[in-house]
Amino acid sequence: MNNYQTIELSSFKDKDAQVYFENNILYRRIYNSYKNDYDLLINSGLYKTLTKQSLLIEHTEIENSSDEIYKVIKPEEVFITYPWEWCFSQFKNAALATLKIQKEALNYGMSLKDANCYNIQFKHNKPLLIDTTSFEIYKDGEPWVAYKQFCENFLAPLALMAYKDIRLNKLLISNINGIPLDLASKLLPFKTKFNLGLQFHIHMHSKMQSKYNDTNKKQTNIKISKNSQKALLDNLINCITNIKLPEYSTEWEDYYRFTNYSDESFEKKKSIILEYKNTVNPKIIWDFGANTGVFSRLFADTADEILALDIDPLAIEKNYNFALKNNEENIRPIVFDMINPSPAIGWNNQERGDLRSRAKNVDMAMALALIHHLRITYNIPFCKMAEYFSQIAPYLIIEFIEKDDSQIQKMLLNRKDVFDDYNEQAFENAFTKKYTIIKKDKITNTRRTLYLMKEI
Amino acid sequence: MSKKIKIFSIIALIVAINPQQAFAYLDPGTGSMIMQVIVASIVGAGAAIGVFKQKIADFFKNIGHKGE
Repeated sequence: MNNYQTIELSSFKDKDAQVYFENNILYRRIYNSYKNDYDLLINSGLYKTLTKQSLLIEHTEIENSSDEIYKVIKPEEVFITYPWEWCFSQFKNAALATLKIQKEALNYGMSLKDANCYNIQFKHNKPLLIDTTSFEIYKDGEPWVAYKQFCENFLAPLALMAYKDIRLNKLLISNINGIPLDLASKLLPFKTKFNLGLQFHIHMHSKMQSKYNDTNKKQTNIKISKNSQKALLDNLINCITNIKLPEYSTEWEDYYRFTNYSDESFEKKKSIILEYKNTVNPKIIWDFGANTGVFSRLFADTADEILALDIDPLAIEKNYNFALKNNEENIRPIVFDMINPSPAIGWNNQERGDLRSRAKNVDMAMALALIHHLRITYNIPFCKMAEYFSQIAPYLIIEFIEKDDSQIQKMLLNRKDVFDDYNEQAFENAFTKKYTIIKKDKITNTRRTLYLMKEI
Repeated sequence: MSKKIKIFSIIALIVAINPQQAFAYLDPGTGSMIMQVIVASIVGAGAAIGVFKQKIADFFKNIGHKGE
């Protein structure tokens, strides 16, 4: 039987391997050209060392009958997120993991030929290299071929996030192969020139790139000892470890401290959500506007995965660090702007998918204290919201807040109220075009109502 | 530490002043390769100095212990 295969849309650059799906299961075929490298990865003990430290994706070898293919492997499944969806600490941990992997690879006579940020994903909130074929046999004296890529993919965005603006990892959307170092150097504040690591790896590096961009002489004698390369990696590790976010907070990060409802109402809200949870028993939940994940965590004991999405990178930062510290394995916080979601980018707009295309088998979407922002601040009609959520999951928990709620009144304080259709009836009319209302509960002593809905 | 930085900066400057004679290349990644070699040499030397200093310190420590 010849099963239907589709090539993974970002897998077209590596001549040694290709990732594809067969019956919706992901495989990687490794061509004969990669035989020696693959054998060394497995036989040297590097694969075992890295998988033991949860730094490299585990795989099983599958039976293969083709002469052109050396091995077919089945890697474990991971949910793909992109670096513009990561908070600062996720990015920093991904960078440090890459350097740690390269140092370990050198110990086993191998080296990373790729150091792009897309090769790192998160499993149980810890960074994991998913590209098994990104190792090559180390040749004595050879410089690290991925040094430039590492600086553009990890160091430049991290430095920009810490020293310029936390949102600047989004520059990777317009620079899919990494932030050009001349751009990073121009954007970084002057004080970073006194940071030895950033001076070397970004500012001087950028000057060197432009200096040699146009030369026409060939010189093949660029050598660097293994110990020097390890010293370089240590230097990069120190440099990245010392990049820290300035201490400040945002509007949303403090949201729960400034809500207008009492502890009693807060607990009531939690108990209603728990009741809805028990009614549906969802395994995969996408919590839109999750903030630091207080309500996302109500699902943690029974869910397989909770995607906690929020526009605020600092709320995600807090959520991620909390999850990491408490070994919460099934909460995945990511930065997500609902009114301008992660786009599909790269070659033919297919290389890196949009978020919605990654929504597979999601049982429930949740939108708490969110839609008044979408309606009033961003002017998104209710019917558009219903359409969007129904594309994500069959069940929805949603909170409607009356217009006379003090938070909404604050939003309308300095603008004309043109939102005549902002009322409970209009909300229900729009959503019942896509959903049936299963449960509806007022939160005591508030102007808020919770709904459990099921897609029609 | 500041002395170390000074020494490294001077070495970097000397190497960087006329790098075209040492490494000229066609590939757009050449500048990155050269930068890597420069930084690796500097931090590699720094690490070597560190190890050397530690060895000297250990040597005198051992003498001290023997004396006791």
